[in-house]
Amino acid sequence: MKRKKKLSDNSSLALRFHLPTFITLTFVALIPLIYTLRLSFYDFKLSEAGSANRFVGLANYIRLFRDPDFYNSVSKTFIFMFFAVLFEVIIGILLALALNAIPKVKKLFTSLTLIPMMVAPLVIGLMYSFYINPQFGLYTWLVDTLRLPLPTNLTGDSFHSMIIVVIMDIWEWAPYMGLVFLAGLQSIDAQCYEAAKVDGASNTQIFWSVTLPLMRPVITVAVLLRAMETFKEFDKPYILTGGGPGNATEVIDLYTYRQAFVQFKFSYAAAICIILFIVLFLCGMVYQRVAMQGDD
Amino acid sequence: MNKKLKYGLLYAGLTIFLFIVLMPYIWLILTSFKTRVDAFAIPPKIFFKGTLSNYYEAFITKGMLHNLINSIIVMIATVVISMILGLPSAYAFSRFPSRGDRLLSNYLLGTRFTPVVVLALPLYLMMSRMGLLNTYVGIIIAHVAFNLPFVVWMMRGFYDAIPKEIDEAARVDGLGWFHIFLSIDTPLARSGVAATAVFCAINSWNEFLMALILTGRNTTTMPVAIPGLLTPQGTIWGQISAVGTVITIPVLVFAILVQKHMISGMTMGAVK
Repeated sequence: MKRKKKLSDNSSLALRFHLPTFITLTFVALIPLIYTLRLSFYDFKLSEAGSANRFVGLANYIRLFRDPDFYNSVSKTFIFMFFAVLFEVIIGILLALALNAIPKVKKLFTSLTLIPMMVAPLVIGLMYSFYINPQFGLYTWLVDTLRLPLPTNLTGDSFHSMIIVVIMDIWEWAPYMGLVFLAGLQSIDAQCYEAAKVDGASNTQIFWSVTLPLMRPVITVAVLLRAMETFKEFDKPYILTGGGPGNATEVIDLYTYRQAFVQFKFSYAAAICIILFIVLFLCGMVYQRVAMQGDD
Repeated sequence: MNKKLKYGLLYAGLTIFLFIVLMPYIWLILTSFKTRVDAFAIPPKIFFKGTLSNYYEAFITKGMLHNLINSIIVMIATVVISMILGLPSAYAFSRFPSRGDRLLSNYLLGTRFTPVVVLALPLYLMMSRMGLLNTYVGIIIAHVAFNLPFVVWMMRGFYDAIPKEIDEAARVDGLGWFHIFLSIDTPLARSGVAATAVFCAINSWNEFLMALILTGRNTTTMPVAIPGLLTPQGTIWGQISAVGTVITIPVLVFAILVQKHMISGMTMGAVK
């Protein structure tokens, strides 16, 4: 009885504190999303006057599922996600182990590691287009001078364009993974290592059967978070490749952007937005469950 | 001896790794101080006579200063509004658990993970109808939309870290909850508030897509203005580098100041 009273007491108090945020979010996020949903059942194009009121039901969604360019962008997103996150995890773990092992000037190294993720993604795109420029880029010069067995015209063909788009993302986020994993490593109880050492385990054995299993929750959280963020990839490929050559690096956000703000097919873009929102909302629920589990 | 060798190799490895990683960025900064001739020299020049002409050209002659001011206005407004709205909610999540919490946090999560482009489309159409395109209000609303959930998530963890006994003592003294929130717990969580504010500021400062769509001639922020330097007559790399340097340096300084809280903020409290 008392408990119940306390809860309802809380509710009205909580409500007052929550109100500003939730009213704001209703106006800036919920209503726009509902508007998008409504839009996706119409056939609104900038090119046709009066098309805003033409109800077409599920036609946009049906067209979407038959659109090879949509499938292209989905597959590019997944290719990008898979390789970017994979290498970010591998490099991140190595970096974390190295940072954890050094006894001094840890702070300086950590600060330097922080740099890439703080550089605006747009600037990263520009920076790379300067760095790998086939005529005067430092990278091109290094490859030529040192006769390294590496390609130089990276944005010229589809295969290498995708590689460089992935590399930019690894550049930005692998150090971040390193710092997250470092935090994970530092929270491992030293007793676990000692017990393993007493049992005569080698360093490699300790890594595979003590460190890695204990790090699993942290790795899972980081991988999920990064995987979801790859759906937001826009700035770097926009400025470096523009989705090209052709549509070789046209990830989902670039494709949606082009449908909405280059071709001005608002309703069609709205249908893509709704699909994207549903997918990410579900991923978000999974993330929340996993992340909160690690909390307990 | 063996141990010394091991550490030596570790330090050397880390230094080389970081050097390779940071090279494109160092190159960007160096280029911003080079004359046009030096910037395109082959072999690339590591030692050269520095010049500030790129900064002068970009910010004064090309008017990038105006974009810098726009970026600052949008950033400050976004941070202030997001914090004022978000802090009470974060506090309530931490202090007054109630039945609606699950629903509310799903609601927040939905907005937190929505790709920018998904909100960009409806906001663009709605704002064009309301005449908010190319205004500060428009872009600030958009930036608040994705920073607000972030503030609530991040601050919730920082409020959780403050012992509840303090509130109880204040309650006994007859203080109201709003008073406790404002003048006791929030000041106690000030390092978290600082980290959250810095993080918000960086989000807004670096943001590109919303600004690209919602701003026009008078309100363009810096990231959107840079591609304007990629002209058909040739790309002015020196000036682009200068602007790139100006965008990144303040962010780095702030980030290093609140480094300790950065990681927990970026994983939304999942990693402490």
